[in-house]
Amino acid sequence: MDILSFISPLFVLLTVGGTLVGIIFGAIPGMTATMAVAVCLPVTYSLGLDNGLALLLGLYVGGISGGLVPAILLGIPGTPSSITTTLDGYPMAKAGHGEKALRIGIFASLVGGLVSLLILDLFAPTLADFAIKFSYVEKFLIILFALSVMAALSSDLLLGIFSGFLGIFISLIGTYDVTKGGNGEWRLIPPGTEYWLEQGFSLLPVLIGLFGLAAILDEAETGMKAGMSQKDVKIGQHEKFSLSIFKGQWINLIRSSCIGTFVGILPGVGGSAASILSYSNAKTFSKNPEKFGKGEPAGVMASEAGNNGLTGGALVPLLSLGIPGDSTTALLIGAFTLQGVQVGPLFIGNNPVTWDAMIFAMLIANLAMFVMMYYAIRYFAMVVTIPKYILFPVILMMCVIGAYTINYGIMFDVWTLLIFGIFGWVMTKIRLEVAPFIIGFILGPSAEVYFVKTLESFGDLTIFFTKSWIAVFLWVLIALSVGGSAYLQTKKK
Amino acid sequence: MTFTRRTLLAAASATAILAQPFAASAADLPKNIRMVIGSTSTGGDTYQAASIVADALSDKLGVNIKVDAVGAVNGLKALERDKRGTTIMLFHDFAYLAELYGGKGFVNPFEEYTVGATIANNPGNAYLVGANSPYQSMEDILTAAANGERVRVAIQPGGVSEIGFSAMKNAAKVRAPGSEENIVPVNTGSQSDKNQAMWDGLADVINGSIQANEQFTQLDGDDQKAMRFVWITASPETLAEAPEAGMGKLTRDDMLDYASPKTSVTLDGTQDFTFDKEFFLIFNKDMDPAMIDTIDQALAEIYEEGEIQKKETAAFFTPNFRPSAEAREHLEKKREIYKKVISDISG
Amino acid sequence: MGNLTHVTINFDTSHLIFPTLIGCILGLLGLAIVIRDRRQLAASGTHWRKILGEMDKTRFFGTLALTVIYFSAMVPVGDIWPNTGMGFLLCSIPLVAASGLLFMRDRTAKKAIPLMIVAVAAPTLVWWLFTDLFFLTLP
Repeated sequence: MDILSFISPLFVLLTVGGTLVGIIFGAIPGMTATMAVAVCLPVTYSLGLDNGLALLLGLYVGGISGGLVPAILLGIPGTPSSITTTLDGYPMAKAGHGEKALRIGIFASLVGGLVSLLILDLFAPTLADFAIKFSYVEKFLIILFALSVMAALSSDLLLGIFSGFLGIFISLIGTYDVTKGGNGEWRLIPPGTEYWLEQGFSLLPVLIGLFGLAAILDEAETGMKAGMSQKDVKIGQHEKFSLSIFKGQWINLIRSSCIGTFVGILPGVGGSAASILSYSNAKTFSKNPEKFGKGEPAGVMASEAGNNGLTGGALVPLLSLGIPGDSTTALLIGAFTLQGVQVGPLFIGNNPVTWDAMIFAMLIANLAMFVMMYYAIRYFAMVVTIPKYILFPVILMMCVIGAYTINYGIMFDVWTLLIFGIFGWVMTKIRLEVAPFIIGFILGPSAEVYFVKTLESFGDLTIFFTKSWIAVFLWVLIALSVGGSAYLQTKKK
Repeated sequence: MTFTRRTLLAAASATAILAQPFAASAADLPKNIRMVIGSTSTGGDTYQAASIVADALSDKLGVNIKVDAVGAVNGLKALERDKRGTTIMLFHDFAYLAELYGGKGFVNPFEEYTVGATIANNPGNAYLVGANSPYQSMEDILTAAANGERVRVAIQPGGVSEIGFSAMKNAAKVRAPGSEENIVPVNTGSQSDKNQAMWDGLADVINGSIQANEQFTQLDGDDQKAMRFVWITASPETLAEAPEAGMGKLTRDDMLDYASPKTSVTLDGTQDFTFDKEFFLIFNKDMDPAMIDTIDQALAEIYEEGEIQKKETAAFFTPNFRPSAEAREHLEKKREIYKKVISDISG
Repeated sequence: MGNLTHVTINFDTSHLIFPTLIGCILGLLGLAIVIRDRRQLAASGTHWRKILGEMDKTRFFGTLALTVIYFSAMVPVGDIWPNTGMGFLLCSIPLVAASGLLFMRDRTAKKAIPLMIVAVAAPTLVWWLFTDLFFLTLP
């Protein structure tokens, strides 16, 4: 490739700057990579295509990666795709291994990013042709597979699965969205609440309510005890960190990266499914699955490699079909049209320089992400030493910003935060489980559309098993995952 | 370069101060205005149309205008709550089509809100078939329907994507009453779902757009993904405003081949049905009319200067400024036509 | 087996299929839980009395009350200066200060001063960052 034709100090600076801003957005609960790209999109008009993309791709990679910081240190996922990072990262941080968890997460993110970039660079058009073999049936099965992780995450199988289905149920409140193929009718809206609930509850406010506000309420209930002090966190006393922690985990890392990339390639399946699926696979194939959810480094690796794997994957359908793989890449289409560049199946052939520039920007962004985050870990990790009476009020304020801005200024989203904050607190009191609930909530709408559309188009229940070899393969994976969880549950007893 | 945005803003406001002061007679607009749009995407055509006009208005009037992609329902709600003119909306024909199609919670904007100036068209709304489809043209499709053949059309129900489908049904009914039953919808969502419906063999015809689908029409016929245009719904007047080079390999002359009058989807046996996706402003019903005049005048000057047209054309919009009163009349007329089409085929 | 597995979906009512299905599963799971955990459910009164008895009521209900006031005040305050984010800024400063004092154990001036600095600085910084730099809408 003729690097000199697009690379310039400005190009590198924009990528690195974008990555930094992205990390900040990702690290704030409720602010996402999508939002970072959205707010910076208009700026790209004056930058020209290659430089504009450099900025946006930096934001994308940074935004996806930054989410691991609050997920690990505060137990609040910074973005939906870092939910599964919370599951093992936060227990690690509580046990005083926050710094180690961060390092693992950041390294796994780098691996995920690079693997997916390699796949993007080498196989984009081929993979896009493969992705369009996935019809409603296969997409439903992928979602079902991701949902099967609910069982794996439950400490009490019955209560956990109940929580998961409750999450699905609540996600269906509101309009059956026409933009996803629904008929625009309302359902499950309690009488009198139509004005607010017409569009249902938004994901981000629910997420930060359940994880952020509920945690504050929980602390308030127990009186804001000093709890985690500087002593508990081994800040500064550099825990030994070497690549040896990844020994025996390379398969996990590569598999998770590939799963993340693959989920990204499938349009409409959604970014959060990437880390959920990687996590569930890591647990299914792990030698000690019972450790997952209690601070298992492999869980953090799977989740972070998975969600960064998404970045390269989501660009595949964008650049080889003109179809975005997730909500962030949907915005990139805007960047292309702003510059009068068409995206579609001929994009790569017609714009070889831009294509190279994008690959290169992704590479710089991943490396910059790694370097910046790796060296900032010590400062990140200090967050937990801030006294609670300062930390929690600020978190509350940040949650409000995140909730209010996620849909560009809807006050009901802020109230959603409170509703689900209280709900999350009550859930733990009645032993319902938050992790399966939120996974059900995230995947519920996609599960609905793909399920109903399958029946609408094929009119037969057997199609779920007979559509293609892909469907059969997915059923095997689902069976493995469910069987594995059931086996673990009985072993526990 | 995170401060680029700020630098830009500073530059923009500086220009605004230097620019000649705006005609003093009109009512002052609020300093900070929020322009909500009927789409939740900041990468889509509505957002682009909105940001082009918002930038121009900010410069002209020396106020801040912020575009917020809150979506149709939330946008209209925000508009309803704010009588002071601090919230305005930019949307397209969905605003009234949603109500015509019985969309839950949608009202007639001409009664419940004040409809303002039109600013641009997106001429891209189109229908496509697979490259190997037996149908070469709309004529073939309507004839097939008349011969009792079932034609499945992938659309997103309830708005801009459905109106062309309704027109096809209507044309089938005009040509051979009863044959409209043979044109059946495949209800899908996004563009990717519609494409997928074709590749899965679930749809014979799909709704799409020049912008999103043109490259698929350049693919080899033996590629599963290859497509062909059969109909572009825009009126010939609108397409005449499109850039001559068109989009990709599809020149303006090619576009005209797929549009009325060369490709005819009849409205009533004499006239052709056409649909231009038009972007226009919507205001709160009780907003001070003097403010709307101010906006109209500012827009008139902006379009007089001619810079905005270049920007719109570059983003594949066709400029079509009409001041509020004229726009209202035009859009209401349009609404009446579509209302009749929709009630005729559902009757 | 053709007919047994055959289903026809009416698009107009298709919005009810999945909610009904999930509702049924939820009902069955709920029933199973009620049967299995009937003892604990019967004792839920004492369970909640215990929770309420042991909780730090001032801090818990104080947090809830402050949050409700904070959320309720934001929009009316913001409406005085429309689309400037002032509602957020002017409500967040007292919120951070008040909830900080509420959360603080053995309150001393030495602890309160840094809190007050944060209470003013953090919302201002965040407000500037989002409204000015990133051009986002705040209440």
